[in-house]
Order: sequence, then C-alpha cells, then structure tokens
Amino acid sequence: MAARPGQAPGRPATTPAPRLTPMPGADLRAVSAAAQAAGAAIQALARAARSFVLYDAGNTVIRQLLETWRTRALEALTTHGELALEVRPFEMALRGEVVYLDPDREKSLAFKLFRDGVRRLTLTPTASWEELLKLLEVVALRYTAVRQQEDDTVTLLRRADLKGIRVVAVEGFVPSEERPEPEAADDPARKGAKPAEGWDTPLPRLPPPGPIAFRPLPAPALAGLRASESDEALASSAMGLARDLLAEAVRGGWPTPSADLVAFFAELRDYLLAEGRLAPLRQLVELVAGSGAGEIREQILSGLGNARTLDLVLAAVPEGATDLPEDLLGLVPLLGLAPALDRLEKEPDSRRRALLLKLVLSRLPREADTLLHRLPALEPGLARALAHGLVTGAPEKAVEVARFLLGQKDQALRIAGLESLAQAPGEVPMPPVMALLDDPSEAIRVKAAEVLGRRGDEGAREVLLRALETGDRSLPEVEALGRALAEVSPVQAGRLLLGWLHPKGRFLVGISAQQKRLQWAAVAGLALVPGEEAERQLQALAQAADEELRKHCLASLARRRKGRGHG
Amino acid sequence: MDEMREAQRSLGRALGKAHAGEDRELAQRVRDEGEQLCQMLAGLLKMTRVHAPDNRAFDAPVAEFGRALSSLLGLVGEVHLVAVDDQAYVNEMRLRSEGKPGLRELGPELKHQNVGGLTFQASLDDRQARALVAAFAAPPADPYPRTAVRERLRRAGVTTVELHGIFRFRTSDEAVEGRRDPTEALKRALQLSAQAWEAVAAGRAFNPLPLRRAVVEILEIGPCSLDLWAAWVTGMPRKAHALAVMMHSLLLGETAGLSRGVLQDLGVAALVHDVGYAALGATATAAGPDGLARHPGEGARALLRQRGFSEAKLRRLRAVLDHHRGFDGPRGAPSALGALLRLAEDYVNYLRVSGERLSGSDVLASMAQAGGSAYQPALLQLLVNALGKFPPGTLLELADGRRARSLSPVRGQGTFATPLARLCDTATGEAVGETLDLARGPAVRRALPG
Repeated sequence: MAARPGQAPGRPATTPAPRLTPMPGADLRAVSAAAQAAGAAIQALARAARSFVLYDAGNTVIRQLLETWRTRALEALTTHGELALEVRPFEMALRGEVVYLDPDREKSLAFKLFRDGVRRLTLTPTASWEELLKLLEVVALRYTAVRQQEDDTVTLLRRADLKGIRVVAVEGFVPSEERPEPEAADDPARKGAKPAEGWDTPLPRLPPPGPIAFRPLPAPALAGLRASESDEALASSAMGLARDLLAEAVRGGWPTPSADLVAFFAELRDYLLAEGRLAPLRQLVELVAGSGAGEIREQILSGLGNARTLDLVLAAVPEGATDLPEDLLGLVPLLGLAPALDRLEKEPDSRRRALLLKLVLSRLPREADTLLHRLPALEPGLARALAHGLVTGAPEKAVEVARFLLGQKDQALRIAGLESLAQAPGEVPMPPVMALLDDPSEAIRVKAAEVLGRRGDEGAREVLLRALETGDRSLPEVEALGRALAEVSPVQAGRLLLGWLHPKGRFLVGISAQQKRLQWAAVAGLALVPGEEAERQLQALAQAADEELRKHCLASLARRRKGRGHG
Repeated sequence: MDEMREAQRSLGRALGKAHAGEDRELAQRVRDEGEQLCQMLAGLLKMTRVHAPDNRAFDAPVAEFGRALSSLLGLVGEVHLVAVDDQAYVNEMRLRSEGKPGLRELGPELKHQNVGGLTFQASLDDRQARALVAAFAAPPADPYPRTAVRERLRRAGVTTVELHGIFRFRTSDEAVEGRRDPTEALKRALQLSAQAWEAVAAGRAFNPLPLRRAVVEILEIGPCSLDLWAAWVTGMPRKAHALAVMMHSLLLGETAGLSRGVLQDLGVAALVHDVGYAALGATATAAGPDGLARHPGEGARALLRQRGFSEAKLRRLRAVLDHHRGFDGPRGAPSALGALLRLAEDYVNYLRVSGERLSGSDVLASMAQAGGSAYQPALLQLLVNALGKFPPGTLLELADGRRARSLSPVRGQGTFATPLARLCDTATGEAVGETLDLARGPAVRRALPG
C-alpha cells in the first residue's frame, strides 16, 4: 500500500492499533477493529491537544504526541475508511460502539466538543495531514480555554473549511412546540434600532448610467484582494489599522484616557511578539511615538511596556549579549522601567544584568522619579549602581539621590550618596555633610571632608578646623581634612598650615600626636595653596623629615606641580 | 526544517495568537452570573409549590434575583435565557449544570407553562420580580398556558420580559437534509444585528460570537444561493440596511473567491458596519455630513470595547473604518473588506435614497461608470458580474405586460440579463406569484423603480 501524504516514513500503514485501556468504571464496549482504531486515534488527538496545557509547543513531548496522532489517524482512515464519530457529553462512539470515554470534565475531549455544540465529527480518508493538524489546533485552543468571545469549535472548524473533516453541530435553537401558541404582538417596550435622520448622506453624485455587461475578470485582477486578507498579510494589515485608529483618535478627538485603544495596542503587541514579528513591532512603536496623538500616545506607550514585552524582547537577544542588537533598539521606548527593574532584581546572570541596567538607565532623565522611588527597596549593590546612573543621567536629581543614600545604613550607599552630592549641579546643602565629619565611620568622615573641599566654601572652614583639632583621627583622615581646608579657604588656610608645618617639640619628648596630625594635614593642604612659600617650605621639610613624612611631602609637591600643569 | 517541527511551530503560533485574543474575564463573569440567575429563578419557581407568591418568604430571594438580573444586564444588555432539554443557556453561552441541580430543573419548571425561554430587556424591581413568579405559579391555562402567563405579566405591568416557546437543538446536518430555512437564518441575522446596535448604543461591549454563528449559517446556505436570495427578496424587509449590505457584500466576497474564514468576518462586519451611528446616538452631529464623516471612526471605537486580539477583529475594525473610504482617497485605498462593504453599501444606499425614481438596474448602470475614482475598477466589474442587469429585488415589466421581481443574482454569463423572477401582485408590487426563469422568456421590457 502506498504511503499517504504525510505518513511517517518506514511505518507500515497497517500497524495494528493498540487495544484501548478502559478507564476505571468506564463502559468501553468497542470490539470491532474499526472502533479500536478510531479509539486509538481519538485518544491520540485528545492527548496531543491536552498536552499544550502542560508543555510549550516546541517540547519533544509534543512532537511525540503529534507523531502518534498522525500515525493513529492515518492508520485508522487507511484501514477502515471514513470514521463518523458521534459526540456525546463524555464519550464518542463509532456506529454505536463507544471508542472514547473520559468522565473528567477538564480532560474530556468529548465534553469539550459537546460543550461547543459538536454532535458528530467525521474524518474522511481524504483528510490530509494539514487538515488533521488544523483539527488538533482547534481542539487544543479549546483545551487552553481561549477565544471564548470570538470563536468556538464550530466557527473555528467552519472557518478552516476542511474538506476532509466534517462536523455536525448544534447551531442554535429552533422552536419546537407540541402546542403552538399565538405569538405576542410587537412589544411596545422595544425601542428598535434606528440611526439618526439623514444618515449616510449626502451620497456622492452618481454619473449618468452607461451600458453594463458581464466581463470575466482575469484571475490576477482579484489576487491582490485575496492576498491582502490572507494570514500572511495580517501583520501589515494590523499596522494599517493601528495607523488609522491613531489618526481617527486624533481627528475624532476621542476622549482620554482611552483604555480600549490602549488595550488594543497591547493586544497587537502580544500578537506581534507571539508571531516573533519584531520588525513590525518596532514600526508600531515608531508609529505611536511619531504620532500626534498627545496624551493617547503617552498612554499607549506606557501601556505597551509591561513585563511580557520585556520577557519576549529579552528572549530575542542572543545569549551573552550585553547590548540590545541593532534591530531591537527601536523597541527601547517600549520597555517599561518597572518591569525592567523587577527583572533586574532577580536576574542572576551578570551579562543579562548589565543589559538590563542599560535598559533601565536609558529611561533617564524622563523616569528619574520612578527610579528614585524604587531605590529604597533594592539591594545595596544594585541601588548604588542605579544611584550612580541616576546622578549621571539626571544630575538635577543628585541631591535627592544623595539624601536617600545618606539615610541608609549601608556604608557603601552612604559613600555613594556623598559622591552624588559632589557631582550634583547647582547649589548643594552643606550642613548635612559637615555633620558627617563626626560620623562613627572613618570612611564616611573622609568622604565628607572630600565633598566639603570640592563643594564647600568659607563657611566650612571653622568646622574643618574643629575636626582637625579634636579627636584621635588617622593620618588619611587628617590628610583629607587638610586638603579640604586648603580648598575652601586657600589664603587664610595657607597661613595656618605653614604654621603647623614645623611644630616645636618638647624637650626629650618631641612633637605630640596632635602636632604630628596637624603637620600631616598641613603637608596635604599645602599641595593646594598657591605661592612660592608653600613650595619652599615643603621642600625644606622633605629634606629634614623622616622617611614617612618625606614621602608625604614629595607627594604633595608632585600634586602641586601636577595642578600647575593642569593650569 | 522537518514537517513535524514545522507543525510544532505552527501550533505554537496559533496558541500564542489565540492567547492574545482572550477576554476570559468577561466570558467567565457572564457564565458565573448567568448560572446564578438561572439557579435563583429555578429556586423561586420551585418555592411557589410551598408558598403563595405574596408570602414574605419570597422577600429576600426576589430582591436577590433582581440584583443578579441588574448586574447581568449591565454586562450583556438584554439577557436571553433559554432552556433546551436539561441544558440552560444565557445569551447562547452554555451554563455548566454539573453539580447544580437548579440549572437542570429550570427547563421543566418553565415547560410547565409551555415556556422555553425568557428575554429580560430591563431590570425588575421587587414588585415586578414577584409578579413574574406569581405569573408562573398559577396553574397552566388551557389551551395556551404561555399566552396566559404573558397576559398576567402585562396586567401586572411587567412589559420588559418576553416569553418564548419550547426550543429544540438545531444541528448543522439539518441543512444537509434540506431543512435549513433561509428566511429563518436571515431573520436571526437581522435580529442579532439589531441587538448589536442596541448594545453599542447602550455603551456595552460587542459580542461577535452570535453574529458569527448566524453568518456561518448563511454561508452554509450559500451567499450565491437562489434560495437565500429568494428568501431575502420575498420574505424579508429589503430596506433593512445591515441585512441588505450583508447580502450584497457576501455575494461579492464569494464571487471574489475569498476564503470561508474571511467571508465570516466580512458578514459580521457588514451586520455592524454602521454601529457608529448607534454610538453617536440622536445627537445633532449624527445626521448629515458630520455623521457621515464621524460614524466609521465611532463604530471602530465602539467595537474596540470588545477585548482580545484576533484576525477577525482586525478585519472587522478595518472594514468598519474603511467602509466609506474611496479607492483614490487621500488616506489611501481601503482594506479589501472595506472596499467590498463600500460597494455593497453604496448600491444599497442609492436604492434606499433614490428608490422612488431609480431601479436597481439604473443604480448599477450609474455606479459602473464611477470606476477608478470611488471604486476599484475590478471590484466594480465584480459587482456588475454578480448582480446582473436586473439585480435581485428589481421590479421588472415583462414583455407580456406582467410585472415580476428579480429573485436571483447572476447564475452564469449567459443569464446576465435573464434572472429568475417572481410574478408580482399588480396592486402591491409584492412578489407572491409564480417563479419564472427569464432565460426561457418572456423578455424584460424595462426595469422599474420601487
């Protein structure tokens, strides 16, 4: 026997179908070979359709179940011819023999079909694999309980126009009166459906009549018409509709917020993503972004940017990439900040994190406030990276970023906060920074001194002096304080620092720890004090000092020269 | 890529697309609230065996029934409740009776009064709901129990509840056996189109499924079928606009060789193409040129209330938006379905507005000269080829002096000017007489307006 189209190679067409395994309590009476084969086919159909609830379509399990459906169906049809299956609420029968039974409403293929009104399903020997596949698709759609508004099994099968598969279905109800009664008179409560007077007018003026005749149309004349409504043209048709709807919304002044329009664009996005049509999706974003739809445009763009979009776009990015590929860049406006942050928080892969971080920061400065509000809930490392990005991408938010960061317990975050203040444009509030000179953490105190030096003014001099004169501070800290002092008040500090450079030690005891700290601060500060005197004094001290101090002096001298070099 | 892998991809795409088209929330709410309503109604009817309808025991359940009805009306507009055998349906959605004996008992309770279904057009207050229960509680009247219930309701001032007779299931194989009735199919389509209009006018979401089922039925009969056209000419109000546009656009679509799925979408679009006027309501802007310009957009906006993406919705929206768009207009050519609707509607509109002085033949002969500006020339020729020299519904004066009304679209090139026709009553112009095949004579002297 010749293999049927689509038949698996190497499989004999007459392989006996396996016997049905009756379910517990099932009254499965199929005895004929045809019923056995039909039962095997229908069970294969049910299993394959149901499997989409559990597995992704690309899963190998699905592949095996598809193979089984094809083999069983073609075997049954080849061997036994047409299979006219009566559909009952929980069972299906071939010529009175029950071939399928499943009382579980959620799993039962019979129930799904019966629910939608199918009463007989006939598979004919002319059914092709494509048609069997279409039947499976329709049934699978009903298992996943979708499209309840637009279609049911019957309309889907009619739409598919399958030549080799016939369906008898309940198509509605008709009166069936044993005792016909007179109909009610027209109900005055019904208002009826009437358009306004003068609807659809004025009509365009008609030309004078001319002769008409039947003229056969050559096939290509209507090919474009048919092609434009084909499934292949769906994406471009959808784009056309999107463009027209936007134009109509603007032209007709549709009220805002237009939740229905926003939902439509989200649905269109889902469709394009499900189809893997990223190019039209990019066009859609460009279309919306470039439209004059004002508020509607904003709503649509923000409505499109949910987690689903991000997941699907990320799925299209090659593994290991830390940047969006060129063809996906146009989608950046679509990718919402909140979903990207959610994903960033959970993403374990460092390269993916880098990509997500770029996506988040690309939303700045526009969505700086949103990002700022999310900072407190993020883990410190991520918050620091984002705070840094915020200050760079939205400098006007730097003070707010700093305020938030300085309020945290984590030392690194607080240091990042101080750094934010240092970078902030415009006037920066200094009192909180001055207060940090007494912070328990030395790192914070050092950073605060640096910030005071860079952004402070004369007002900080007293505080810096007090800090230098009190407490048991380390050399790096006094170094920072000395530099800050020179930065905020170069002239006055110069005299002070020169005075600290050569302390007089007590007899036999030498200089005190405090004198040593002030001397160390002075060496650091004089690096920034203009004038020949500071240079000379540092050189003199370097020649007379011990090794540690000499190195410190040479470093300051080097810094002076470097500063001069930079003008 | 091997065949099985391609099959997996294709199934994956189909499921993904369908998921984008879901509106599970609405469907679930209608089903849940429908089940609640039916259970309550069955319970109320059962209670009448124990208590008189004016008993205080009815107070709480009657009030609850009224609230449930109001809520469901808010979702779907009119509530159509039908019991067939032991199954119950709300607006054609089957309710799950498993484990809910109340639902199975509703049919028998109603059948007691020879009633198979009810339509609720508006909410019922406590008094009206109690009157409904009382009307069913009375013993069945002989010989017409349903008529008696209707009369009791009328006397109690309950005018927003319609009663229907007993139903049975109608299956698609009835057509195979030659029992499908084209007139009934057209009536269903007309009624559903009116309901869609009312739903849009009331600001509710559009539900295309019942309309699609009606169109499927008409497509099964055949958009070019002589029976269907004869039923439209002789059994239907030909001025019913949406139906007329659907008939002509489906004829065009079928002749153009559109697939069955696209024809379904075209039929549904035709039945709702003017709902923008319903959305505009009776405002001053709904009439004349302003309404003409605004109603396609308003229609699309109203149809957008239906959530979920599908190719069907997409085609429908484009068709509605484009149905007045010209072939060479500034906004570009219309979609294919929009262009077909435009042709069909223009033909129907010219007859509606100028039917007193122009015949179908006149309108077609004039429209045929407008190719290239308003209409795509190939589509215009398609219209001519499909309708023929004497389009269906055209009043004809025959060579022997009798009058007849054209019944059929073109059956073939050879019968372009010789349709089937039915002799008319000379006084009324109604096609009530013998059916003639004009290919066998007599000749047509001229086409007449009217």
